[in-house]
Amino acid sequence: MSAAIIFGLLILLMLTGMPISISLGLTVLSFLFFMTTVPIESVALKLFTGIEKFEIMAIPFFILAGNFLTHGGVARRMIEFARTMIGHWAGGLGIAATMAAALFSAVSGSSPATVVAIGSIMLPAMLSVGYPKRFAAGIIVTGGALGNLIPPSIIMVIYAVSTSGAVYFGPAGERVGSASVGQLFMAGMVPGVILAIMLSGTTWYRAWKNDYPKIPRATWGEAWHAFRESIWGISLIVVVLGGIYLGWFTPTEAAAMSAVYAFLIEMFIYKDLRWKDVPKVLLTSANMSAMILYIVTNAVLFSFLMTSEQIPQAMSNWITDSGINWITFLLVVNLLLLLAGNVMEPSSIVLIMAPILYPIAVKLGIHPVHFGIIVVVNMEIGMCHPPVGLNLYVASGIAKMGITELSIAVLPWLITLLVFLGLVTYIPELSLWLPRTLGML
Amino acid sequence: MFLRILDRLEELLITFLIAAATLIIFVAVAHRYLVGIPLLYPLLFPINLSWAQELCIIMFVWMAKFGAAYGVRTGIHVGVDVVVNKLNPPWRKATVLFGLLCGALFTAVVGTMGAKFVYGLMHTDQVTPDLELPSWIIYLCVPLGSYLMCFRFLQVARNFWLTGHLPHHDETQVEGVEIDAPGAGVGGITR
Repeated sequence: MSAAIIFGLLILLMLTGMPISISLGLTVLSFLFFMTTVPIESVALKLFTGIEKFEIMAIPFFILAGNFLTHGGVARRMIEFARTMIGHWAGGLGIAATMAAALFSAVSGSSPATVVAIGSIMLPAMLSVGYPKRFAAGIIVTGGALGNLIPPSIIMVIYAVSTSGAVYFGPAGERVGSASVGQLFMAGMVPGVILAIMLSGTTWYRAWKNDYPKIPRATWGEAWHAFRESIWGISLIVVVLGGIYLGWFTPTEAAAMSAVYAFLIEMFIYKDLRWKDVPKVLLTSANMSAMILYIVTNAVLFSFLMTSEQIPQAMSNWITDSGINWITFLLVVNLLLLLAGNVMEPSSIVLIMAPILYPIAVKLGIHPVHFGIIVVVNMEIGMCHPPVGLNLYVASGIAKMGITELSIAVLPWLITLLVFLGLVTYIPELSLWLPRTLGML
Repeated sequence: MFLRILDRLEELLITFLIAAATLIIFVAVAHRYLVGIPLLYPLLFPINLSWAQELCIIMFVWMAKFGAAYGVRTGIHVGVDVVVNKLNPPWRKATVLFGLLCGALFTAVVGTMGAKFVYGLMHTDQVTPDLELPSWIIYLCVPLGSYLMCFRFLQVARNFWLTGHLPHHDETQVEGVEIDAPGAGVGGITR
């Protein structure tokens, strides 16, 4: 009963268009005030302790690193690298766009910014060699989808933070430890590479079948030059993953290091950044981080209410009693997350949904790391599927195409993404093999 | 005039906090590895940086509270606007205003709760574990930040009431990319 009231109130407040953080907080306050005798002061402490964890501080650092690298110059270098490697294949420019988008979204951390940075350069380029507009636009929309799987990934940090802390028990009653940021980062690598290959495969097949024009092969000299130019940006992934894996630094320290590293290469190697731009980048990053941290604070408050009303426990008992197995459960989770992806931005979805779904998943024997990867993949697809995926809107501005036409254009890649989601959901080893082989699980 | 100073102060504070926090953690990590070098050991060993983590957390909490207030001004706090945008104009205006005032109400309540909490702490001699700063100074960011945020919500609501204009954050801005001039660099890619 109280679950229905809480969710009803939350959805009602959200539909008025007020910030998600405010609707979360207001739901908690009004429920406690009107429906219970719990003194409101008891939540006061939660407002301060909500974000006092060092793990959460990885979020502002990664945002800062990403904002330093969200620059047209970085995008251009990555495109050049991808083009000289695979540009001469059938649909080569399209595959190069996907590859460049994967690299750029991984280091910049923003899917819509990737659509803009890669799209505004690659779309005209693809049109000028004679690709049809729909084909080119479809590639651009889905390219940014890889960013959250390939570390550093802010969504993975948020998932790790929002599911850690409480103790949950598996199907046999054993204690299940939550997923760490390092495990999730490592787990995302294999699915990320597979998704890149699958998206490129779709591009290649369509270009090959329709015999779209090819561009000449780049010389080895060009390729070497492009590689040397782009390696600095790509190294960010290596610094973060390697540093955490080798135990040099904690994920948060790795995030701070990557922010300093990003600043140094943009300032002194790429020289895209001038000193007078630095305060602006800092301010934008602080603004974005504060927004996410504010949602985190209120989401902590919300999950405090959930726990004190015993809602996750009741739900997971209900699920296990009704005999729903993990296969059906994950199907429902995917549908729920894809639906939510249409109306909310990813970090809010993870912060609200993960604490509720996670105990059930654990109870059904789903590995926390595997579940995290499923959530991340869903968040990315949510950005690009019609009717209201954000990437679609951004791309429609660049391509000067209507949403309806773009939705049709994006269909082949969207289907690829959904097939990939199916694979990741039902083959846990895709996510778990690498971290297990490296001894991280 | 006063408002302009407040705006600048707010921006200056959060810019400084994020930069300083990053530097502190960078220095702390660098220090940890440089201490391992025998030549630098006597020089660096006396420096104790164990407080770095705590200071970083405090700085980010302050940044989060004041940044959230700044975010109201820049319109970065997004909500679910699919339904609101479908309403006819008078209803839309009323709903958006309701949302903004709810924001003001919530932040005012939180600010007051925070103020009470801080007032309670002032009478204790509680300090933070590493830096040993009085706790109430650390928690002061909650009432200050929340009241500032409340003020920003009221400001935005007033502006919206008078002009119908809402601040809007553009998350697709990429430095060094001109969308209005597509085709820049095409020659380089397709040759």
